Amino acid sequence: MNAVLRPVSKARKRRDLAMRASLGLATALALVPLVLVLGYVAKRGLGAWSWHFFSTDPTGSFLGDPGGIKSAILGTILMVALATAISVPVGVGVALYLTEYGKNSWFAKAVRYFVDVMTGVPSIVFGLFVFIVLILSGGVGGYAGWKGSVALSLLMLPVVTRSAEVVLLLVPHTLRESALALGSPRWRMIAKVVLPTALPGLVTGSLLAVARAAGETAPLLFTAAIVNGTSLNLGQRMNSLPVQIFTDVGQAQDRLVARAWGAALTLVVLVLLLTLVARYMSRRSRLT
Amino acid sequence: MKSRQWLAVVPAAGALAVGVAACGGSGSASTASADPGSSASGTVNGAGSTFAAPIYQQWGSDLKKQGITVNYQPVGSGAGVAALANKTADFAGSDPALTSDDKSSIKTPVVQIPMAFGAITVSYNVSGLQKGLKLDGPTIADIFLGKVKKWNDPEIAKQNPGVTLPSSNITVVHRSDESGTTKGFTTFLSDYRAQWKSQIGADKTVKWPTGTGAKGNDGVAAAVKQTSGAVGYVEQAFALQNNFNYADVKNKSGKYIAPTLQTTSAAGDELSIPADLGISSINSQNPAAYPIVSQTFIDVHQDVCTSGMSAGNAKALKAFLNYGLTQGQDVAKQLFYAPLPSPLLSKSKAQIDKIRCNGSAIR
Amino acid sequence: MAASAAAISQSGSLRGSPLSRLPDRALRIVLTALAVAILTLIAFFFIRLYVEARPAFARFGVFGFTFNNDWDVSRNVFGALPLVVGTLITAAVALIIGVPVAIAAALFVTELCPRRARGPLTIMLDLLAAVPSVVYGLWGVFVLIPKLKPAEQWVTDKLHFIPFIGGASVAGPNYFIGGLILAIMILPIVSAITREVMATVPADHKEAALALGATRWEMIRTAILPYSRAGITGAAMLGLGRAIGETIAVTLVIGNAPRIGSHLFDQGYTLAAVIANEFGEAANNPIHRAALIAAGLVLFVLTLLVNAAARVFINRRTALA
Repeated sequence: MNAVLRPVSKARKRRDLAMRASLGLATALALVPLVLVLGYVAKRGLGAWSWHFFSTDPTGSFLGDPGGIKSAILGTILMVALATAISVPVGVGVALYLTEYGKNSWFAKAVRYFVDVMTGVPSIVFGLFVFIVLILSGGVGGYAGWKGSVALSLLMLPVVTRSAEVVLLLVPHTLRESALALGSPRWRMIAKVVLPTALPGLVTGSLLAVARAAGETAPLLFTAAIVNGTSLNLGQRMNSLPVQIFTDVGQAQDRLVARAWGAALTLVVLVLLLTLVARYMSRRSRLT
Repeated sequence: MKSRQWLAVVPAAGALAVGVAACGGSGSASTASADPGSSASGTVNGAGSTFAAPIYQQWGSDLKKQGITVNYQPVGSGAGVAALANKTADFAGSDPALTSDDKSSIKTPVVQIPMAFGAITVSYNVSGLQKGLKLDGPTIADIFLGKVKKWNDPEIAKQNPGVTLPSSNITVVHRSDESGTTKGFTTFLSDYRAQWKSQIGADKTVKWPTGTGAKGNDGVAAAVKQTSGAVGYVEQAFALQNNFNYADVKNKSGKYIAPTLQTTSAAGDELSIPADLGISSINSQNPAAYPIVSQTFIDVHQDVCTSGMSAGNAKALKAFLNYGLTQGQDVAKQLFYAPLPSPLLSKSKAQIDKIRCNGSAIR
Repeated sequence: MAASAAAISQSGSLRGSPLSRLPDRALRIVLTALAVAILTLIAFFFIRLYVEARPAFARFGVFGFTFNNDWDVSRNVFGALPLVVGTLITAAVALIIGVPVAIAAALFVTELCPRRARGPLTIMLDLLAAVPSVVYGLWGVFVLIPKLKPAEQWVTDKLHFIPFIGGASVAGPNYFIGGLILAIMILPIVSAITREVMATVPADHKEAALALGATRWEMIRTAILPYSRAGITGAAMLGLGRAIGETIAVTLVIGNAPRIGSHLFDQGYTLAAVIANEFGEAANNPIHRAALIAAGLVLFVLTLLVNAAARVFINRRTALA
């Protein structure tokens, strides 16, 4: 600290400038991959986009027209929708338990801890688990869209729960107390005061989880499998955008690789839109 | 990356594209006519061999008009047999015949049906090196053992007098999944190099001493295409599709043979056929045959309905198999696979009639 | 205040009759049941994975499975050392490249950049996390691998005297490319947490440094960095956890060779990638299947340890703040 007390010397100024510049440079460096990835995906992907690309299924034909990605888009939407329908109510419910009932009890702490642990589980391990429990042990058939949804919802659950808990804790206690003081029972207080106040935040957390799930490949590989045709029945195997890209990347043919880029652009646009909407919602939220 | 790399890798893609488009057209044209049991409609889920995937996928798209949907997942022969065993697939595509281990893992009786033959090419991507590099079994083994490291190694040079060989490094590309193509290729190598046989062996997957692993014939093709100096083994349809240069390989009679439809068919001609049709066409005795030719099978449960198929889908499966052994054989030919020779073909057809649905014949 | 609210709800609402408390009870029971269900699910998850992996541990021993250098599917021998090593090498490369950049970006955004640029910069850094893993893999295969190969070869030729890095013949897909992609993928999370930690540095500390005549950089060095060191360590460890578990992008660029590479630019394999590639065919071979699930378990234990350590570091700092 001695040096600090002396007047700012040229050497110190130079050093300051150099360090500032290198921090700025490092930041620019951090953004280079983003620009490159998005640039390549946009350029190569747009080349593959056409009405045909979105309106046909992959044909699997070795020689002819490889087809588009209709089944992959619909599969992703359906499976993620079901996964959301499972994980958001459960996740918000658990978060409500933690904030409204469990609070700091040992049980609530245990739940919180293990939900955190779940956040760290690699997504491929969720896929393994669902394969073991729902496919290998028999009884409920082979690959199916709903099994993919289950794997995705396991992945989303901790994200939804943790973000919902944070948002619910932000709801001012005074609001809760005034509702109770007015004679409202606890369930009405939760339904009419806590949830509406926290709604934008809950939506943000859920949308971020949805965005994460939509881009996941690993949990779907051994659960929903790879098919070409469109299926709107979650009881059958289903295609999805990430799995379609994963299969097409390993192909030697340029037209399949082109399809991978086109599908990647579709997926990126989808995920980025969800992320941006989520951010917009969180800005509009009155809580922070 | 934009254009230079791609252009360098696929110098004559146009020529093949024309050929492929032409035969694709004729393939679908020849298949418009329906097949005896044509009223069948349903969904058939298959998985396995990437070696034979082009045929099954083409057959599938041919049958679509008849209301039969074939979902074929090219995941490798090993995964195909596994999928058949745990009933996530109705049929498995497998290049090697089922071993006794395979059969015991499947538990219920299986019907094994030979479908076609294909050549496993030794394809390379080396600038300045044309098609038809001459290689014998021991040399190929040494390349895949990592002992021959450069393209101008004396071992390669002495078989190719007059060819200017570049001094670039060899990058080996092999399969990372359990593959019938690998089994065929390593069986070939084991026959020629004692060190390969003792150290590595012949199987659907082996412990490769060197190289990059890729999934499926398509994955190996993609890796070869993207890597200059690469060498890999892929079924001929994949090599032609990507316009690869591939080697003439020395066969048992000491002749260097290029893989063609004729030399591939020749390997299927003089086979001994065991009772379960578990043939192997690697290292054929026929002096006109290309040495690395593999057969490919479709395996199904003998009783498909007790193994989870509905009667309707069982009918569709049978129609699919029938199609494959009739018009499908010509389609295979257009994809550069050799059709079954007639004695084997009739035995294959007889296998289809062994398939049952809940104990009774499918009609 | 919370206590008084609880008291009111305990004694029932003012107009409360036993009947109107019924929904209250039901809600409480349902929510508690959900929480219990989650814990049960997680417990079931571990137990099931462990039971399925046991044949592999029983055959090779936990130690033997993890540290034997022999992954040979055809002989049914499964020693995961090549995978563990691959996982650690790629994760280490990711940390060495990713963490300094992430910290620098966090410093720049919180301390140096103009206030108006802060929002957009933050969003852009966060968007790096929104790009799906498989898209990074696609980009890696078709752009990074071919573009970087000459540069990698140049580096290894110039540094030929350094073991493990120098004198190599660069393979297309390799450990370094895997690590580089992971570095990009962990950058946003490390940077975001570092930013949060830095936001907890008391303004007095910073102002005091500046008041004493420190330049901006000296303020960062003397006030911010020492204060947030633990938090930054935690952020790096969370990044490490992410890097260890990442599957798809790495699978596409690692080279899928189950042996320990002889240098940084050699092909390898990681635990997660092996599961993604081999599980389909292993489903029916009990010992192979058990080995892959065991690999999943090893992976999981690794991430668990790393994440737990990260939490200790981060909590220690936020508890002080």
